Amino acid sequence: MNALATIAFYLGVIAYSAASTLFFLELARQSTQGVRSAWGPRVLGLGAIFHLLHVVTASLLLNRCPVESLHFGLSFSALVAVGAFLLLRRHANLDPMGVLVAPIALTFLVGAQFVGVEEPEAFVSRPLLMLHITANVVGLGIFVVAGTAGLLYLLQERRLRDKRAGGVASRLPSLDALDRATYRLLLSGFPLLTLGVVTGAIFSRHLTTSGGAAIARTLLGFTTWFLLATMLLLRRLAGVRGRRVAYGAVVGVVCVLLVVVVYAVRTGGPGS
Amino acid sequence: MISVVGLSHKSAPIDVRERFALPADRVPELLRSVVGRAAVGEALLVSTCNRVELVAAPRPGSTLEAVAEASRAELSALAPSAPQSSLYALTGGSAVRHLFGVAASLDSLVLGEPQILGQVKEAYEIARKTGTVGSVLHRTLSRAIRAAKRVRSGTAIGAGQVSVPSVAVDFARRIFGDLRDRSILLVGSGDMAETTARSLQSSGARLLVIGRTPEKVRALAESFGAEPRAWNDLAGALELADIVITSTSAPGFVIETAPVASARKKRRGRSQFFIDLAVPRDVNPAVEGLDGIFLYNVDDLSRIVAESLLTRGREAAQALSIIDEEARSFDRWADAEQATPLVVALRERIRVALRVELERSLRGRLRHLGQPERDALETMLDASVNRVLHEPTTRLRQAASSSDLDVPPFTELSAALEHVFALEEADGDEPRPPDTQAALPPASDPAASLPPGSAPAALKLGSS
Repeated sequence: MNALATIAFYLGVIAYSAASTLFFLELARQSTQGVRSAWGPRVLGLGAIFHLLHVVTASLLLNRCPVESLHFGLSFSALVAVGAFLLLRRHANLDPMGVLVAPIALTFLVGAQFVGVEEPEAFVSRPLLMLHITANVVGLGIFVVAGTAGLLYLLQERRLRDKRAGGVASRLPSLDALDRATYRLLLSGFPLLTLGVVTGAIFSRHLTTSGGAAIARTLLGFTTWFLLATMLLLRRLAGVRGRRVAYGAVVGVVCVLLVVVVYAVRTGGPGS
Repeated sequence: MISVVGLSHKSAPIDVRERFALPADRVPELLRSVVGRAAVGEALLVSTCNRVELVAAPRPGSTLEAVAEASRAELSALAPSAPQSSLYALTGGSAVRHLFGVAASLDSLVLGEPQILGQVKEAYEIARKTGTVGSVLHRTLSRAIRAAKRVRSGTAIGAGQVSVPSVAVDFARRIFGDLRDRSILLVGSGDMAETTARSLQSSGARLLVIGRTPEKVRALAESFGAEPRAWNDLAGALELADIVITSTSAPGFVIETAPVASARKKRRGRSQFFIDLAVPRDVNPAVEGLDGIFLYNVDDLSRIVAESLLTRGREAAQALSIIDEEARSFDRWADAEQATPLVVALRERIRVALRVELERSLRGRLRHLGQPERDALETMLDASVNRVLHEPTTRLRQAASSSDLDVPPFTELSAALEHVFALEEADGDEPRPPDTQAALPPASDPAASLPPGSAPAALKLGSS
């Protein structure tokens, strides 16, 4: 089992690296002619299969549910991000987003190896903790893709404002496709973020004023939730879209990632 | 090798070129007439709005000059009153390089335009169906297409857009993606605006037309299959339009910031693309400050066109080196092909000699042999010919394509073999059919240089 988990991990790393390269080459190729290659998404999908195999076998090996710790949580988020991207690209020409999604998935898969498999918190119920982490890791995966779409929107928009033809931007997805993708992803991730915040709030009664990191994490969580809620509401009610939604998505993802970082570098449990 | 005779945008103005234009259904007739001439073995016609070129290969024993002359006569017959000085003729290596360059769009009016490769392929297909393509043109066109594909994938010769309408469509796609079900508003009229609107409309977008003169608007809408709008409904039309093309002769701004901001609000922030082709400008440049509004004027679009042309021009040098490399490789193949008639004659000479002896034996001492044994002997005979000629064939092709001083000159080898095997006499006794050249196997044909031991089922001996 151990060997299988290790092999799956390395194959996942290889496939994600290859997919990153393929997406990059596709974006950087000079010729604008011909059919776009579908190898990037295929290899990324293959990487996701190995990744899933690694998560399943490794968690069985450690006798630990994948959504019970940050170690697997990070890895699982990357898997969700890849899945969300592969699902989304079926509806719009969003393949160039792979140039960011694939390296992020690779970073998370490898980065998770440096995060220890911690013991579950003793003072919270296990099902609640699992619900909390599941909501957060799936939400993080979706927000990562939303942030990627937002980032590419800003890049494409800048090129259009500069009135520059050719270059990488000419092969990026259209502004409309990126805007729609960002909005849909934020909309899908928001209920999960809400669930994560609510379940997190239940833990908050265990917090003390001495738990600086935990308080910062909670505050960041609430800020992110408030930011994304405001943005989605403005979009729904006032038709705010485009650049502002893209900025919001990028800032939102940065906040979510900060929460993860604060959690990762904490010195103890939520109560510390 | 080949000859190319014709005229293009570089050698003749449109009023001359149009006299040489030939409807597609008359091309086979012309091709048959060309190969009906004594000198021409193969022919195809590349006919586009910018060029008419007859590409031809000689029959065995004929010269490229004779082929070029025959091609010139055929083309001249298409337009007897046209000045013949506009026709150019290229032969040998320069014709090959020219054809490769044409296929790669290096000789096009718009450098790097992609249509020409398709037109060259179509010309080949018509000639193939007409039966006027043999091994020489087949190989030449295959190499030309390969060279064109290499140029296209290995350089930025086709990068960017090189006309205002295509730039507008490109940017519209970068904003909206699919243009189907989008709405375009054409404000005013003008050649460039109408062409741009037509390009966008051909992508599936709906067109609205608005102007100050109702009669003109109705006529324009009718010609476009568009929806006419009254001038006082400009604000309403702005709300509907994803893309706005303006080209009025108004002295001031026709579209100000306030109605655009208002339309944007009603459109719930959806992006809008303004293409201002008027001078003086129709759209207040301040609209560009609004989120989701993109404004391009005629200068912006022209600058992008100029940049694309500059890029393509820079890439042409690299493209030419690819063409040169491909042409050199083709030259080597063509040189090696010189050996083919000699190899065929030699093979035939030996095979006929063996066949005569075998048939004599089969009528005499081997008369008792049944069909399986006779078949086995046929196979053995073919294998023997292949074994004997494998090495000489390879060396002859090497000699024909090599400029190495250590390799004996092909002309000497050829003369020696013709003398030793009395091949001239064989030629005289058994004249080749006119399309022998076309029927010869190319160098890559396995039958032309089969390894010893293998035997094609080509020679069938009678059982009597």
